[in-house]
Amino acid sequence: MTATISTTPVTPTRRRRRSARLSPLLVAFVLVPFAVESVWVFWPAIQGFWFSLTRWDGMSPPTFVGVDNYVEMAGDATFRGALLNTVIWLVLFGGLSVLGGFGMALILQRERRGVGFYRAALFTPVVFSLVVTALVWRVFYQPDGIADTLLRAIGLEQLIRPWLADPQTALYAVILPALWRQIGYVMVLFLAGLKAIDPALHEAARMDGANSWQRLRHVTIPQLRGVNAVVLSVIVIDSLRSFDIVWSLTKGGPYHSSELLSTYMYSTAFQGLRLGYASAIAVVIFVLALAVILGYLVRAFREEA
Amino acid sequence: MSDFDPGRRRFLGHLGLAGLGALGASSFLSACASSASGPTAGNGSGAVTIQSNLSSPQAKAAMEKLIANFNAQGKGTASLNTIASETFRTQLPTYLTSANPPDLYTWYAGSVANDYASRNLLLDVSDVWKSLGDYPQSLRTLSTDASGKQVFVPMNNYWWGFFYRKSNFARWGVREPKTWTEFLALCETLKSKGVPPIGIGLGDTPWVASAWFDYLNIRINGAPFHRELLAGKQRFDDPKVKAVLTRWREALPYFDPKGKAYPFQEATTALLAGKTGMFLIGTFFADAAPKDALGDLDFFQFPIVDPAVPVAEEAPTDGFFASAKTANPTGTRALLTYLAGVEAQEAYVKASSGIVLPANPGAKAADSPLVTKGKAMLDGAKELTQFFNRDSSDALQPTADTALTKFMDKPDQIDAILREWQSSAEKVFKG
Repeated sequence: MTATISTTPVTPTRRRRRSARLSPLLVAFVLVPFAVESVWVFWPAIQGFWFSLTRWDGMSPPTFVGVDNYVEMAGDATFRGALLNTVIWLVLFGGLSVLGGFGMALILQRERRGVGFYRAALFTPVVFSLVVTALVWRVFYQPDGIADTLLRAIGLEQLIRPWLADPQTALYAVILPALWRQIGYVMVLFLAGLKAIDPALHEAARMDGANSWQRLRHVTIPQLRGVNAVVLSVIVIDSLRSFDIVWSLTKGGPYHSSELLSTYMYSTAFQGLRLGYASAIAVVIFVLALAVILGYLVRAFREEA
Repeated sequence: MSDFDPGRRRFLGHLGLAGLGALGASSFLSACASSASGPTAGNGSGAVTIQSNLSSPQAKAAMEKLIANFNAQGKGTASLNTIASETFRTQLPTYLTSANPPDLYTWYAGSVANDYASRNLLLDVSDVWKSLGDYPQSLRTLSTDASGKQVFVPMNNYWWGFFYRKSNFARWGVREPKTWTEFLALCETLKSKGVPPIGIGLGDTPWVASAWFDYLNIRINGAPFHRELLAGKQRFDDPKVKAVLTRWREALPYFDPKGKAYPFQEATTALLAGKTGMFLIGTFFADAAPKDALGDLDFFQFPIVDPAVPVAEEAPTDGFFASAKTANPTGTRALLTYLAGVEAQEAYVKASSGIVLPANPGAKAADSPLVTKGKAMLDGAKELTQFFNRDSSDALQPTADTALTKFMDKPDQIDAILREWQSSAEKVFKG
């Protein structure tokens, strides 16, 4: 980022002069939310960093232990498992919801009779609260439930297993409902992006003899750059904060096999009452999110410069 | 008072944590730290506030009735504040450490109460106990903290056992076993008849497995060892603990394989429908049972493994403790005295649906053969234990859930599982 700034040394001075003429109203609009954020977000966040250096049960005052929590984390197999699961989650949940959402948007972008129904059907899962989603999927996965009945009907009964209780399948059985919900959401974002593409571009490409694959690759995708940025941030943030669906389906179990960093943080804090260690996990989640988002911002700045 | 059991966790209340993102996460944790204010109880009016986790409809109505009765007596005024169980559990430390805490709380006797007492958070209720002279010594000991003063007033307790349907046992031509050998033989018979012998519900309620651990440990190693183990004075990788799991392993082939996937409520349904033979569970499970099935239910005591070990039973005790910082200690003690009395306890048993035994020896329990049998079993026990989390802490419970569900899946890894259990338990004890 520093490189970007040093290549354009003129801009800051020009900006500064403009900001001198800011109206008091604008200043208030900036400062009041900043003050509110400071109290409700920044200060607690900084406190979180401090707690990550302490041992604290939530009742007695915290005791400072230096980097002990981080040292413990390095040797904590459950933490490593949760980190790995979070990466799997990011890749599968993120990747598949982009592919699925984009694919659905492409299929459903053209106005045809009944297309509204399909769009609505795909978007419906987003409307349900996650608690309801979890209840529905629990019925789907339960022993002799819909999943098992379906498998039996097509003669694959040897695949039947306790989906949410088997450590081999629990994580994936939880990703599926999360995807079911996310694809509709991502589809709507892409649909909006596709609508904004000037039809003349496609027209011109067609005149130049581009086939539909070439038009997708060289017209549609480049035109969606703005939407991609939104989708990427939504996906990364949604992946790292995924908690509710996991917690209501498996609570990270059986024996930590579907544990994500977010669920591990919660259970450490509010079941294990080890708020210092839980804060340290929170810091790791924060750093991960920051790394992804900064990585993106740096690229965005470079492209602008 | 079945929903005193913390194991019956309802995390739905916490799904509001959906937005628990990176930054939000740390702010959420620290929000708890900095909120020393807590709920402001209505102390100004002189009313005693009672914070109750009895949120199931019948239990809530029963509590409301008790408080109304107390207020009608004119010895003081009280107001009831019912909180969802899981919120109550996670917020309890915050309530107790806040500057202006509610006066009285529903909670558990034993290690949990002693832990708060050791932090000087609980009101000394030895005065109340002076009027409870006829209470059994076991309950008095249970309500006494390390410094020798009483900090807890018990309301009732319940028992655990192998529940079954009498009609099904008659149809299968089997009888209650007394010893572990007879028990395994019974399992074998049921299995040969095509019935999964032992029901269990670990999906969402993995703590149910702890009943097996508790019982086998108190049957093989005795209650004193069990308590020391849960207090961190013994090790989970001790050969004595390994002996518990080795014994348990003998029964593993008889467990209902579907039990891993559904919660204990559905395991109850399976038992009542005759899809499993028997189910080791606390009496609270009957809340979910249809009324017509209740008359057909019976239970037997957890089989004796080693006759040389004094018989102990699990009898989780529910009741009340008060905040040390209460603004109205006199009113609080008056309310506690009322709640410990025969009248209040009988009224509670009558109004609530659960099969519970009132703590006051003068109070009559519900008049049913099941309750009479349960009471006789507890009366005959040499020692009473509470339950895994109550004899240790809610913080230790998840370590047991992890270790025991893993053991039931991978019984050939006992040594590794116990080592892991010991190391996660150490972290909990260390804080």
